[in-house]
Amino acid sequence: MGAPDDEYDNDEECEFAEEVSSTPSAVVKSCNNDAYCARRDAPMSSSKSSSVDPSSSSSVVFSPELLGVYYSRLFPYDLLYSWLSYDPSSIVVNNGKVVTPSKASSSSSSSSSPSSSLTFPRREFSMTIEPSPGQEVYIRYQSFTSRDELCSAVTRRRPTKIDIGAVFNHPPKDNKSLPSGRLQTVERELVFDIDLTDYDAVRNCGCGGADICKKCWTYMGMAMEVIDAGLRLDFGFVHVAWFYSGRRGVHCWVCDDGARKLSNEARSAVASYFEVGYTSRPASASISRYLGMHCVPLFPSFRAHHVNLGSDKNKGMHLSSPLHPALSRAHEILEPHFVDRVLPEDGHGLLATRASWTKLLLTLPKAAHPVASKLEERWRSTKDRSTPREKWIELKSELASFVGGGPARGGGGPAKAPKNMSSIDRTRIEMWPVETVFQQTYPRLDINVSKMQNHLLKSPFCVHPKTGRVCVPIDSNDFATFDPFAVPTLARLIRELDEYEAKSGDGDAGVVHDWQKTSLRGPFECFQKKFLVPLLNDERRALKEERERRAAVIGDF
Amino acid sequence: MNVAGPVRSRQSSHTTSSYDAKNKRADGGSSSSSGVDMYLDVPSFELSLDEFEEFALARLKVLRKIEEMKARNLLPDLYRSQLDAAIKSNLRSNDRIDVASHFILRAAYCRNEDLRRWFLTQECHLFRHRLESLSSRGPGNRGSGNGNGNNHDELRDFLIRNDFDLDRVSAIEKERLRDKLLCVPGTNPVEFNVTEYYRVPFVQALELVGRRECHVSDGNAYVPLARIVSIVAAKFRSSLSRSLASAGVMFRQVVSRDEKTRIGPLLTSMNSQYTGPGGGGTGTAYGIDGEGTLTAANVDDMAARSMPLCMKQLHRGLQRDHKLKHQGRLQYGLFLKGAGMTLEEHTLYFQREFTRIMTGEQFNKQYAYSIRHTHGKEGKRASYTPYNCTRIILGNPPQSGAEHHGCPFRHYDDASLSALLGQLKIGNTVDRDAIMAHKRDGNFQLACSRHFEAVHPGAIALEGVSLDGVGNHPNAWFSASVSYYNAKSKKGGGAMTDGGGMTVVKAEEGV
Ligand SMILES: [Zn+2]
Repeated sequence: MGAPDDEYDNDEECEFAEEVSSTPSAVVKSCNNDAYCARRDAPMSSSKSSSVDPSSSSSVVFSPELLGVYYSRLFPYDLLYSWLSYDPSSIVVNNGKVVTPSKASSSSSSSSSPSSSLTFPRREFSMTIEPSPGQEVYIRYQSFTSRDELCSAVTRRRPTKIDIGAVFNHPPKDNKSLPSGRLQTVERELVFDIDLTDYDAVRNCGCGGADICKKCWTYMGMAMEVIDAGLRLDFGFVHVAWFYSGRRGVHCWVCDDGARKLSNEARSAVASYFEVGYTSRPASASISRYLGMHCVPLFPSFRAHHVNLGSDKNKGMHLSSPLHPALSRAHEILEPHFVDRVLPEDGHGLLATRASWTKLLLTLPKAAHPVASKLEERWRSTKDRSTPREKWIELKSELASFVGGGPARGGGGPAKAPKNMSSIDRTRIEMWPVETVFQQTYPRLDINVSKMQNHLLKSPFCVHPKTGRVCVPIDSNDFATFDPFAVPTLARLIRELDEYEAKSGDGDAGVVHDWQKTSLRGPFECFQKKFLVPLLNDERRALKEERERRAAVIGDF
Repeated sequence: MNVAGPVRSRQSSHTTSSYDAKNKRADGGSSSSSGVDMYLDVPSFELSLDEFEEFALARLKVLRKIEEMKARNLLPDLYRSQLDAAIKSNLRSNDRIDVASHFILRAAYCRNEDLRRWFLTQECHLFRHRLESLSSRGPGNRGSGNGNGNNHDELRDFLIRNDFDLDRVSAIEKERLRDKLLCVPGTNPVEFNVTEYYRVPFVQALELVGRRECHVSDGNAYVPLARIVSIVAAKFRSSLSRSLASAGVMFRQVVSRDEKTRIGPLLTSMNSQYTGPGGGGTGTAYGIDGEGTLTAANVDDMAARSMPLCMKQLHRGLQRDHKLKHQGRLQYGLFLKGAGMTLEEHTLYFQREFTRIMTGEQFNKQYAYSIRHTHGKEGKRASYTPYNCTRIILGNPPQSGAEHHGCPFRHYDDASLSALLGQLKIGNTVDRDAIMAHKRDGNFQLACSRHFEAVHPGAIALEGVSLDGVGNHPNAWFSASVSYYNAKSKKGGGAMTDGGGMTVVKAEEGV
């Protein structure tokens, strides 16, 4: 395409100039957010997040040189190209093995679909590059006519980050020569961005900001499970791909034809469908208000503790009763995780210590005050040996019998709600356990990322410069077990590559790509087999139907 | 379509194209039975200028009726029955009238934001009413059910015709989904058994989806019938709103370019069309308070004081010749009717003049019938509408001497008009010069407005005087003048002196 190297010196290519304050040049930015179009929070300082992974902090996980090797040998251009071109001829399945056609044949045969209909050349890529250490230049509106063009641009520029935008009506690289306003988005995958920074208020593991640990990562697993189920079961989407963002979150790409063509309005609706917590009914008071009312007088011995409730995104959440079917399903998914991974001491300790359960009981609606007092007294006793799980069950059953359900477990006789309790109070008490589970664990989406067709999102398969980890695909069977600390770093990959080649030379028949010589092989091949092949098969089927439909119109069978 | 190849379309050539379009409209027209139409296809039939105006006014009456009833906050049942009656008497006379009138008014009301909003609001009420009538009498709904399911088929047909891709949820499936459907906020468990559900692709129910106010499964939203109506109504509203906005841009080009064609001016004046008492409308326009204001006894005084120049000339002609030619009788007679003159007074007045040159028998034989006809008491019993300025300006010019109809500002030459203004002592020389200047520029309606200003000093500052439509409709001119004198007499007749500064509101550009 012959793009001059100096093109990123143009100010117009950086639309984020307002985020830059400390650096002299307008095109330099220091923001490492995964999806920064929507972000207006302060950029991370690199010192704070340098030692994310204790096991690898001693060695260099990321450097421009390592990145150069990654881009020239390991980056899966074929996978990215096959996917984003939605071109079934870009992939050939042979005896169950996926092979990409040789470059010669793929470029010469335009058999299945005319190249003008291919979306890849009209896809926006943007790149963040570091011409000198500490400087970041952001280049928007890149586009490439082929896999090879993408490959050569990436290897030449060595971007620290690649973002993927929408498919436009014209190749976005022509944007300068088009009259302003002419370049318009045509389609785009439906994307979701979930990030642990939005979970700070419920992370009782000690992490904050960009830090993560295995304890708080469990929230990501739960979020993926809930959103994935909703996308597939409710919206009927099939081609849903999840990726580790490289640091502290996950990205979801919904690639069904119908999803790619959704209007911005429809994207907003889908995102809102998954969102809870912003719809508090003005008629009823919020949890945090009750918290405020009770805090001091009820338990004077209470001391501040790092258990956080009711001071964040999902605060004041009021769910309507009965629960919408999508939320019922989410609750069914989340409550077991909540019991296993949030309540215990080795989770977030919500019912593990006296301070924490006291704090939790304080969030009960005012009308359930007798239950809170009774349980606080019972659990305080030295005779009480109940586990957090048992406490949760006990709490729920006490509440149920309080508002008129069956008899409560345990001694002392159940506290009974006054006969004249209002139906609003009754509902609030009934909903409290659900709301508590949701407040802790329900997915916290950055929905601005999802709302707009032209929102940029970090490309899968990139390497996060702060962690050195690859943005690997996450299989839907692995939501609960995916371990971000097991994701290979650049340094490890280069080492694996060297080791493989020292050991076996070049002789392995099953190995076509260099990434197959490393621990990327597992996640990449899984992505290929479980996402890419079914996706392109659907595209092939759609193309065939379209051809037959047109043949029928012409009367030319 | 273009795949079918140029050969076939060349063979049939353009002779069939308009025929095809007409036919498509006639049997595929979505208003055929139900009366509900999304108005997505612009019709292609031909209308006479009279039909053009007649159709438009018929719809205007219905829309103004809606506006009035909404303002009065009528009970739902009363609203429905009165609106049904208004639709029946105005939009059912002709199978083209509904579609044609919608598009004529769409063109007339796209010009500015206020007009667009008014039109959009009333049209959406009308649409919703028709859609609800279509869906409310089915077997699943209690109360008004008459046992046949035709209305649901009609609703279904309508939705299919308009690309609403939906299925009725079968009783078995509804039972299977019972627990889920009941958990949707806003669902009334008591009515669940008699509620019908439809399955639509979720993208057609975005508002409900975004608020989690429907069950969503496998890409479909499950929506109760009552909410289907709101989905369809929302789609209608947004598509009409879009069309109006884009039509507004085009309108300015078309009308300013084709000023001499007859359609442009007709459209620009449509919103000020008179649908008052004489026209059987709602009286929200420029009608006078009740009938009997204008009588055979006071008509001479009122003509001198409160009639616009065109009607003054007809009055003077009748006074002088004791008869009026056909077109004059129509223009003047309809004006009198619109100004509140009853059939009896009208007959009395004309009889008084005509019998100066003919016998009462002759008058009865030749003219009484046409007066009754004017009032809708004979023949088709159609309600004839008083002419507006556009119609008068575009009508046939009067033949010199014997005919007095038409618009003096348009149809008289400069010298005659100038002489007339002087003779009638209209305003001062400054006023008369201004009127003549407008006339010479072809701004006949501005000239007429200027006439009003000249003889009603301070009108704009008077409370209770509406100048809406002055310069667009003779009846508006008249009723503004009447209210002017009423207001002044209430204020003790205090003379206003700053008449020169008044401008007439909403003077239309380009006419
Ligand atoms: Zn943590």
